[in-house]
Amino acid sequence: MRSPNGGSRRGVATWSCFLAGLVVMLLSSPCLADTVSRTPEQMLRAGERMYRQGVLENGEPLRAYVKGDIPVPGTAFTCVSCHLRAGIGSVEGGVYTPPTNGRSLYQPVKKIYKGVPVKYNESPFRRPAYTDATLVEVLRSGVDPEGKVLSDVMPRYLLEDEDAELLVTYLKKLSSEFSPGVSDTEIRFATVYSEDVPAADRDAMIAGLEKYISDKNDMAKSYRRTTTARDRLMARAMSTSKELESRRLTLSRWVLKGSPDTWRAQLEEYNGKEPVFALLGGLVSGEWGPVHRFSEENRIPCLFPNTDLPVVSDTDWYTLYLSKGFYQEGEAVARFLNRRDETGAGVPVLQIVRLSREGRALADGFERTWSSLGHEPPVTVTLQEGETLTGARLAALLEREKPRVVLFWDGGALIPQLRELGSLRQQPQSVFVSGRYAGEALYALPEELRANTYIAYPYRLPGEKVIEPMMKSEVRFRVDDNRIAQQTYSLVQVLTMAVMEIKDNYFRDHFLDAIGMSMDRVVPLYERLSFGPGQRYASKGCYIVQLKKGDGRELTKMSDWVIH
Amino acid sequence: MSRSFVGSRPLVLLITLVVVLQGVVGPAVAAEKKYRRTTETYSLPDVVLVNQDGKKVRLKSLETSNTPVVVDFIFGTCTTICPVLSVGYATLQQKLGADAQKVHLVSISIDPENDTPKVMKEYLKRYRAKPGWDFLTGSRGDIDKAMRAFNAYIPNKMSHYPLTLLKSPDEKGWTRIYGLMSSSEFIEETRKAGIK
Repeated sequence: MRSPNGGSRRGVATWSCFLAGLVVMLLSSPCLADTVSRTPEQMLRAGERMYRQGVLENGEPLRAYVKGDIPVPGTAFTCVSCHLRAGIGSVEGGVYTPPTNGRSLYQPVKKIYKGVPVKYNESPFRRPAYTDATLVEVLRSGVDPEGKVLSDVMPRYLLEDEDAELLVTYLKKLSSEFSPGVSDTEIRFATVYSEDVPAADRDAMIAGLEKYISDKNDMAKSYRRTTTARDRLMARAMSTSKELESRRLTLSRWVLKGSPDTWRAQLEEYNGKEPVFALLGGLVSGEWGPVHRFSEENRIPCLFPNTDLPVVSDTDWYTLYLSKGFYQEGEAVARFLNRRDETGAGVPVLQIVRLSREGRALADGFERTWSSLGHEPPVTVTLQEGETLTGARLAALLEREKPRVVLFWDGGALIPQLRELGSLRQQPQSVFVSGRYAGEALYALPEELRANTYIAYPYRLPGEKVIEPMMKSEVRFRVDDNRIAQQTYSLVQVLTMAVMEIKDNYFRDHFLDAIGMSMDRVVPLYERLSFGPGQRYASKGCYIVQLKKGDGRELTKMSDWVIH
Repeated sequence: MSRSFVGSRPLVLLITLVVVLQGVVGPAVAAEKKYRRTTETYSLPDVVLVNQDGKKVRLKSLETSNTPVVVDFIFGTCTTICPVLSVGYATLQQKLGADAQKVHLVSISIDPENDTPKVMKEYLKRYRAKPGWDFLTGSRGDIDKAMRAFNAYIPNKMSHYPLTLLKSPDEKGWTRIYGLMSSSEFIEETRKAGIK
């Protein structure tokens, strides 16, 4: 395992120095200090922008070289892209990226993996603690205080003293103290649910989470019982990270009462009394938005809340959803139609939307995706609660709009209306509905309508064999046939890995970084869960299916899991 | 319900441990080593992928193209090696200037779930890509076929490695390069593949 070549190890170490170096220069150069006066907060924000976006205070990209002679803009090679948001680093594509948080840079280190000194190697790599000056030097030249040269995948940045100071200031502050919810003896989690959710779903979620917590704590107990060095090493590697030996995991229940506009105050109160490291799962009636905004603004990770009505955002960081829910079904229908009707000419689409959260999310997903694909917006007819479309009104709509495609975003009330539609003289080419929103009623779809009704279906098809791609063997999940239990199962898989990965780096951003760098997962409900830095919706697919002829429940796939 | 997963953890952890230990030592070695160059013959599957503009691209067309072709495997949110590969492409396009379309640069996504045309277009914009550089995505099955055809199959994107494949229109074989090249090394390799 040991590298015969000390130089390569140096390369590893050099990485960490790189970013940190920037900061140091300014501190050591008196002429810079008084060029511009900034508050410490302004300096941190400017340094953060350099780290995360590769943009200098004046708005220009940082300039750098990689592989010796390739000039790159800092925006293509940001610090965060390799060292990640928390600065703890990563291993990816055979390249090891060391930590760049102040806590690591300003200490001498042995060989480290994700911030933990590797003690079982007989000749661990060492580097001295950086100073501000040596840190800036390594960022500029790639040469560390001992003259060792970093890997040439680490960019060498052309940094002015003043910019270097900003970056170093940021790195010193980056992941310098453990996040709230972590003490010497505990790591606290909570799960949020509203008091009006179905008891069976709530209990399925709580049971899954509590089993995880007690399993973990039991493993830590057994770790404490080990006696020989070999057993301890195995236990450390196999059961849980060694730090968890002294920290129990706890799970609080944050129960929300009353209307959603009072939830924020309740959440703040829970968090004020007993801050948690992260929120796990969760279940509320209605949209997840109020809890999402609480997490985002308090920078508290929330892993896989059980919701079909998430916040859809390209930039928000703290909530990791299982999918985009109903929105994703609308998105899949737009992509499917775009792929099918490739003439480029405007395809007339009529969209009938129930005025409900589900209906709006489906319509929103369709409209935004359809327009991003260059199509004219659909003609939209909204149905109030309890309202149904009569045959006459449907006939008039079809006569007026002559749509080739009708999207019918409605729940169980859908079927009688589809029957009306089916009896009309003028027919659209195809009708699209949401399988999840229609629910059980869907299977009452009359045979004569099945051939031109397409269903968005965001799960694996029932009864399908699940094959694990690496081992190529069939997977049998030991979990109840309850959607919340199955979603919690996925959560526990991801959480188990994340808790093991973060080791002695109890930073919330690192928790999310670790998940972002994790392998794809094979789970019961979805075809695939996949991750990546900043990716916030783990299941990206949705089948378009049809009901087979007859009156049965069998579904036929009309699309791939992911439609491009 | 988590028991089944817990039960399989020792093996997972053992594998993780091995990977970690390799990871700690491996990259440093890799950084010192030159890239590896071989000549290979591939037979491409007849699959249709989608580029950053949503246009269909037939993979087999790369075999019969009249222009030199370069292929690599990347994904939009990759942290380390993809940016280096992509900067190589960008540098080549810059060097070629108005002749950028005399070579067809192809990046095939290994994260087709996330790499939609929109994501790919934004990625290319970050590298100031010019026409002539296609980022391709597709169904998981088709992407797997493409990876297998180039002897580049990985079951999971996080275990990928740097690979560049070059083909001159005058040759039947492909030049396969394993490892990361500097800008001058990459340009020299493309020159050998008929890109002037």
